[in-house]
Amino acid sequence: METMMMKEIGDLSRSSSSSTASRDVDFACAWSNWEPVADWAPFSAPVADDFDDLVDSMICPDVALDDPAALSSMSNTSADTPIDEEVNTYATAGDGDDKDLRLVHLLVAAAEALDGPHRYPELARVILVRLKELVERAGVDSGGGTSIERLAAHFADALQGLLDGGVAGRSSVRDVRLHHNKADVLTAFQLLQDMSPYIKFGHFTANQAILEACLDDRRVHVVDFDIDEGVQWASLMQALVSRPGGRPPPPHLRITAVSRGGGSRAMQETGRRLAAFAASLGQPFSFSHCRLDADERFRPASVKVVKGETVVMNCMLHPTMAATRRGRAASVASFLSGAAELGAKVVTMVEEEDDDEREDLAAEEERGFAARFMAELRRYSTVWDSLEAGFPMQGRARGMVERVILGPGIAGAVNRAYREGKEEGEKEGNWGEWVTAMGFMRVGISCFNHCQAKLLLGLFNDGYKVEEDGINKLVLGWKTSRLLSASVWKPPPPPHLLLPSSPPILVGTTSSSGFTTSFEDSDFIFD
Amino acid sequence: MFPSKKPTNINPPPMCVQADSGLVLTTDPKPRLRWTVELHDRFVDAVNQLGGPDKATPKTIMRVMGVKGLTLYHLKSHLQKFRLGKQPHKEFNDHSLKDAAALELQRNAASSSRIMGRTMNDRSVQVTEAIRMQLEVQRRLHEQLEVQKHLQIRIEAQGKYMQSILEKAYQTLAAEGMPSGVGYKELGDQALDASMGFPSPHDLQLYGGSDHQVMDLQQQMNQSLDGFLLTNNSNNDNDNACLGKKMRPHHPYMNPNEKHPFLWDDDLQVQEEASKSDQIQVAPPDRGEGIDDIDDVYEAKPAAGMLSADQSAGLEKKFEGPSSHGWHQTDDDRTWQLRPSKKLVL
Repeated sequence: METMMMKEIGDLSRSSSSSTASRDVDFACAWSNWEPVADWAPFSAPVADDFDDLVDSMICPDVALDDPAALSSMSNTSADTPIDEEVNTYATAGDGDDKDLRLVHLLVAAAEALDGPHRYPELARVILVRLKELVERAGVDSGGGTSIERLAAHFADALQGLLDGGVAGRSSVRDVRLHHNKADVLTAFQLLQDMSPYIKFGHFTANQAILEACLDDRRVHVVDFDIDEGVQWASLMQALVSRPGGRPPPPHLRITAVSRGGGSRAMQETGRRLAAFAASLGQPFSFSHCRLDADERFRPASVKVVKGETVVMNCMLHPTMAATRRGRAASVASFLSGAAELGAKVVTMVEEEDDDEREDLAAEEERGFAARFMAELRRYSTVWDSLEAGFPMQGRARGMVERVILGPGIAGAVNRAYREGKEEGEKEGNWGEWVTAMGFMRVGISCFNHCQAKLLLGLFNDGYKVEEDGINKLVLGWKTSRLLSASVWKPPPPPHLLLPSSPPILVGTTSSSGFTTSFEDSDFIFD
Repeated sequence: MFPSKKPTNINPPPMCVQADSGLVLTTDPKPRLRWTVELHDRFVDAVNQLGGPDKATPKTIMRVMGVKGLTLYHLKSHLQKFRLGKQPHKEFNDHSLKDAAALELQRNAASSSRIMGRTMNDRSVQVTEAIRMQLEVQRRLHEQLEVQKHLQIRIEAQGKYMQSILEKAYQTLAAEGMPSGVGYKELGDQALDASMGFPSPHDLQLYGGSDHQVMDLQQQMNQSLDGFLLTNNSNNDNDNACLGKKMRPHHPYMNPNEKHPFLWDDDLQVQEEASKSDQIQVAPPDRGEGIDDIDDVYEAKPAAGMLSADQSAGLEKKFEGPSSHGWHQTDDDRTWQLRPSKKLVL
């Protein structure tokens, strides 16, 4: 066993760029004694199950014989039977999955090497080189290789970016439009919508909540944090014009999009498109946009509010849509805070969800980068799995989605995970908890809404689940993992309406149970 | 779902008596607790104290109520019934609506027949109860259909909007003369549609009701969208004739089954984008088959339709699961086969 290990480590040290001769011994000790810090059981089981049918492809039939690097990495893999013993502790499936697990092990090891006060960037570099070898077939651009190889390649890229320039990945979401042309971006977006309920779940749940809140209103004003292409509003408009027979004509819909930086032209284009679509439906519509401040904060005063209209704030926070700028946490916070001042009736929010192990941890800050990295790895492997389970034959289509949408998402997530520990104000955590602390109240998700979500999921392959989490939140999950949540909130009354005797709104402290009331049978329920 | 009852450790008294704690117990092989109004009130109080039927657990309720002789077993079943009564829509989760209601009826019937000392009034209350349950089931079914119809319309709208964006983008691309990595036309015969399970308007007619409204909507949209469309395929002339009868396969906007042409199988050739100035359309005119065959497809579809009348509570959805065929012709006939997968989980 030792000789095998040493040979491998020999390879490693040869191929690394820094001088590591003196560290060979350290590596040997490290590698032979190494055990992953985290508990692999919840992670390896789904991995093993879903990649069972990739065993054949793992026995690489298409490796070019004149490619020595690939060959040597392959031969290492097949010769690594001694390592199986260690790996088998974590895997119940056969040989093919060992490679998957090794990839994962290596990723986590690299993350750990970058974590905390005992950072060891050189080790990370070396591990990444090894990783690159193993996923060489995946070639992120070509979309080949197995699913998990591509996943590992994206994460490896992200880590490499951290090492190189402090910014993960070679294409953060912001740059997506530089690296990929718009048609590709949109095509990938369309594909993602077709292959998973990820996008539609958030849109439809939020729209239904908005519909219910504005049931009898004449004018509806939506303030959208991240309008992107405006896709969400097409179905809202449709729903407004097709309200059950006997209803008054559709209300006037005004959408104010929050724009940042120099995105003005794209936003105007979106506005034009939405206006055209509304016209085609006969939906009265107007569009405007407001800018974020120089410090990327939202100022409620920048939104023009007309008397008599119902204001609704929409906050889509999953990274497939939003960019991963620095300071994003602050702009989201300012947006949500502004809800009270604008007198919004409801705030709809869609954000990513973690699996519930966070509850065990004492505090957010104690999760190091490695732990957050693992959470992101888990999350994206779940997404990967879900896409593959539904569309195993459409590898190229999936590859496109992975490349154009998920890859940048991964880079952004790794970036955020890295910065969270380092900078103040970068901590995002769970926005649901944040707004609860701010005094937002929960607005119940109606029967209709829940039913709609279930029906939507029924259109996709088995494995997606939706469940309620409290009365105001629906969570979309794949098998046992949570992916995304859609929640509905009512902001606290604006400060200037509070009587002098009432207590001020507590900011930043955990609220007592008195702040959350539930609207169970009010006019919010659409029945 | 009828929970198996463990015998409690309360010795069954010979007749209906008041135990020390004020509980009314009955005589029968399985000791049953009679939930009097007062006891139930205390129960409800305790549940509310604990934050509602979802937050409360039998253990905590038992603690809060502090009633001697009350066991977890009693509380478990009572809590379950309470929850069901409070939030009937939760039944969607596990069983079909009818089963759930039937179970409730059974349970009520069983419990009512065992408890002695029921007066005549109680029995008629039980009957009314049963009728109410039945109506409830029906109501829920209708509600579900409503939701389904709305969902379909909304998804279609979103699809149309996406199409417009995509077409614009590809137009721009063609205008700029840049090759795109993914051609628009490789829909081929193997386009997969994630939302293929939608009932056609034809199917919706089976349910009467507001399908008329749906038709109107489509007519309205058809007309107003013509201007919105970038090009108009001459094949679309079929559309008006097809209205109300079957799906219109060539109108990109009115065809949810064709709105996702991009999910090509890996073995398809990825075609470079040809000039798109005159023919940006989503329908697959390049298939070897002509229009008529595609009409066949949609005529065959109602037979395999999602909301066929002979299905009871289950709504069957056709989702083309993983297969190397996608849409394909069977060898024997010219109809497209959709592989039915699973029932919609209600």
